[in-house]
Amino acid sequence: MQTEWHGHYLDGRTALSQRATIYLTESGLRISLESGRSLSWPYGEIRQTQGFYSGEQIRLERGGEIAEALLVSEEDFLISLHQFAPKLAKHLHDPRWRGKRAPLILAAAAATVGIVAALYFWGIPALAAIAAARVPVSWEERLGEAVISHLAPEPARCADPGRSRMIETIMTTLTTPLGRSPYRFRVIIVDQPTVNALAAPGGPIVIFRGLLEQTRSAEELAGVLAHEIQHILKRHSTRALFEHASTGLLMAAVAGDVSGIAAFGLETARTLGLLRYSRRSEEEADAEGMRLLLAAGVDPAGMIAFFETMEKKDGAAPALLAYLSTHPGAEQRVEKLRTIAQGARQKPIRLVPNYDWREIKKICPAAPKKG
Amino acid sequence: MVPFSMKCPKCGLIQARNPACKVCGTAVGQAGEAAPSSGAAAPAARRVEPPPAPAASPLPKRPAMPLPITAGADEARRFTFHGSGGTLLGIHTVNVLLTIVTLGIYSFWARVRMRGYLLSQTEFEGDRFAYHGTGRELFNGSLKAGLIFGLPLALLNAVPELLDAGNAVKTAAALLIYGLFMVFLPFAMVGSRRYRLSRTSWRSIRFSFRGRVLDFIKLFIGGSLLSLVTLGVYYPIFEVRRYAFMISHSYFGNEKFEFDGQGRDLLWSYLAAVPLSLLTLGIYWFWFLAKKQRYLMDHTSFATARFHSTVTGGALCLLYLMNLVLLLVTLGIAWPWVVARTTRFNYAYISLEGALDVAAIQQEAQTASATGEGLAGFLDLDLDLG
Repeated sequence: MQTEWHGHYLDGRTALSQRATIYLTESGLRISLESGRSLSWPYGEIRQTQGFYSGEQIRLERGGEIAEALLVSEEDFLISLHQFAPKLAKHLHDPRWRGKRAPLILAAAAATVGIVAALYFWGIPALAAIAAARVPVSWEERLGEAVISHLAPEPARCADPGRSRMIETIMTTLTTPLGRSPYRFRVIIVDQPTVNALAAPGGPIVIFRGLLEQTRSAEELAGVLAHEIQHILKRHSTRALFEHASTGLLMAAVAGDVSGIAAFGLETARTLGLLRYSRRSEEEADAEGMRLLLAAGVDPAGMIAFFETMEKKDGAAPALLAYLSTHPGAEQRVEKLRTIAQGARQKPIRLVPNYDWREIKKICPAAPKKG
Repeated sequence: MVPFSMKCPKCGLIQARNPACKVCGTAVGQAGEAAPSSGAAAPAARRVEPPPAPAASPLPKRPAMPLPITAGADEARRFTFHGSGGTLLGIHTVNVLLTIVTLGIYSFWARVRMRGYLLSQTEFEGDRFAYHGTGRELFNGSLKAGLIFGLPLALLNAVPELLDAGNAVKTAAALLIYGLFMVFLPFAMVGSRRYRLSRTSWRSIRFSFRGRVLDFIKLFIGGSLLSLVTLGVYYPIFEVRRYAFMISHSYFGNEKFEFDGQGRDLLWSYLAAVPLSLLTLGIYWFWFLAKKQRYLMDHTSFATARFHSTVTGGALCLLYLMNLVLLLVTLGIAWPWVVARTTRFNYAYISLEGALDVAAIQQEAQTASATGEGLAGFLDLDLDLG
C-alpha cells in the first residue's frame, strides 16, 4: 500500500500553492511542505470538499470558515486512505463506490419519472379538485367578472330586450332541474365572428356571435349552454387555475437551477400537459351537460346535431379550430353523447315555441344577414 | 527548487527566465537574484515567487527539474472547464428527485451541488475554483427575502383589494409596488453578486464584492429613467455602467478588478445593431453581442494583468443555434450537455494576459448574507459570475 503521496498545500492566507509530501499515519496525515514546515492533520478534523467525481482534484480541508487545504490529483490517494484507516476515514469519499452510482442514479431517474407521472395523472387533478371545492363562490364571481370585462367588454355585447328574454327562458328551463344553485347564471352574447363559447367562473357564459349563427334551433344552443353550465358547476376554470399553478411548481422542481432556453422547452411540455386536463374537463362537461338536457326535458337531438355540425366543419373552417383544439375528438364526442341520450324521455318539450329561431339569433344588429 | 521565472529588476515584470528582460532589455544576470529560491524560505507572506507548478499535474513523483513555465508574462493564462454533461445529468436527476420528495425544500441544497460542481470543474493555472455556499444559507436567505420583500409586496397587492379601496388608493399602491421593484431589483443584483463572490475561491483565496448597494440603486434608478426618457438610446451606456460597477468593486483576495471602458464606445455600435438586427431577422445581434463581450472583457483588468476576449459573432451564433437544435431534438434532455459546452465555449475565448504575481495575493475574505441572493431567486434573476 502506498503511504507516501504528493500534492499541494494552500494555507488559506496567500494564493501560494506549496508542494507537499503527504504521509499516511495511524491517526492522521502528516504533511511535509517544501518550505520545510511539517503539519499533522488528525483524520477526524479533515473534511472533503472536492474530488467526488473522476478527474476532479481531491480537496481536503481543515479549519474554520477559511480553511487550509490539501490538493491531491490521484484518486488512488483516497483508496489508500480508506485501506489504511478504514474507521477514521469513513467520512471521506471512497472512489470505489462510484460504480454503484450509476444504478443509483438510474433508480433515482425511474423514481422521479414515476413520481412526476403519478402527480400529473392523479395527484394534481385530485388536489386541484379538492382546492377548487373550497374556493368561496364570491371569489369565483369576482374572478369571472375580471375575465368577462376583458373578453366581453360592455360595448361588444349584443342585447335586444325581446331576443335576450328568449335566451333567458332557455336558461331558466335548463337550470330548473338544478334546484337551488349557488351560481347566478347569465348569458352574454358578444359581437365577434369567432365560433366559440366559454364559461367564466362564477356564472357568466359568453357566446360569440359566430357560434350563435351556426346553431339551427334553440335546442342546439341549449346543448352548448348545458355544456357551459356544467363547466361552471364543476368549477373547471377554478380547477384549471390550480392545475396551472401546480404544474408550474412541478416544472420548477424538474428544471432546478436552469433557466432560459431549457425553461422554454419545459413551458411547451407544460402547455401540452395542461391540454390533457382540459380535454378531461370537456368530456365531463359534455356528459353532464347531456344529462342536464335530459333532466330538463330538452330534445337531445339538438346538442348531437350541433356537435355533428362542428365535426363536419372541423378542418374546413379555420375559425372552428379555436373551439376544438382543447376539446376531445369530435367524432368521439358525438358517439358518447348518443350513448347518454338513449335514456331520453319519449316526448321532449319545445323550447321557444311559435318563434322562428333564425329571427332570434339575429340578436347582434351588425350581424351579416345570412342563413 | 529551481525558480522557473524571474522578475526584472528594472521594470518589475515577472517573466520566463531569460538573460535579459523581454520588455526593457535590462540584463538580468542570474535569475536567482531576482526571484529568490523558494526552497528554504519559510515566511511565504509577500515574497516574490513564481506561481507554482499546476497542482493538477498528473505526475505524482515528478523529477526535480525545471517545471513547465506558466508564469511567463507573454503567456496568456486561460480558464478550462473539465465538466461533463453526463455527470451534470446525474447530479440533476438526483436533485430533481430529492426536490420533489421534500416538497421543494431540497432545491437550495440542489443549487449548491450544481454550483459546486460547475466551479470545481473550472481550472485556472492548474488549480480548480471552489464553491463554499451551503444549502442552509440559501434556505435562510430565501426565507428572509420572503419576509423582508415578499410580505410588503403581497400586502400592498392584497390590502387595497380586500378593503375595496377607491381607485386612487389602488393606483397609489400599484405605483408603490413599481417603486419597490425598482429598489429591490438592484438590491438583489448586488446582494447576489456579493454572496456568490464571497463563497467562491481559487487556491483558497476568496473573491469578494465591496460595492455599496445604495450607490448601485442610485445608478440603477437613474439609468432606467434616462433610458426611458431617451427612448433606449441611453441603454448601452447604462449597461456598461452597471457592468463597470460590478467589476470595479470586485476583489480576489486583496487585489482589485478594474474596468476602464466607457459606455459611449458601444453607443454607435448599439444604435447601428438595432436596425441591422431587424433587417437580418436578429442574426446580426450575435455580432453586436460578440463585440460587446470583447469590449467588456478587454477593458477588464486584474492587478497588472488584463483580460482579453477573441469571441466572434459567427462562433456565438453557431453556439446558440447548436444549443437550440440539441434541445429541440432531445426534447430538452440534452440541457446538461448544453450547459457544459456553453461553459467551455465561454472560457475558450478568454485569456488573462500580462504579468501577474499570484503568490503575492493575500486572503481578505468578506462576510456576506444570502438575503439578496434569496431575493434574486424570487425575482428569477439569472446572474452569472463576471
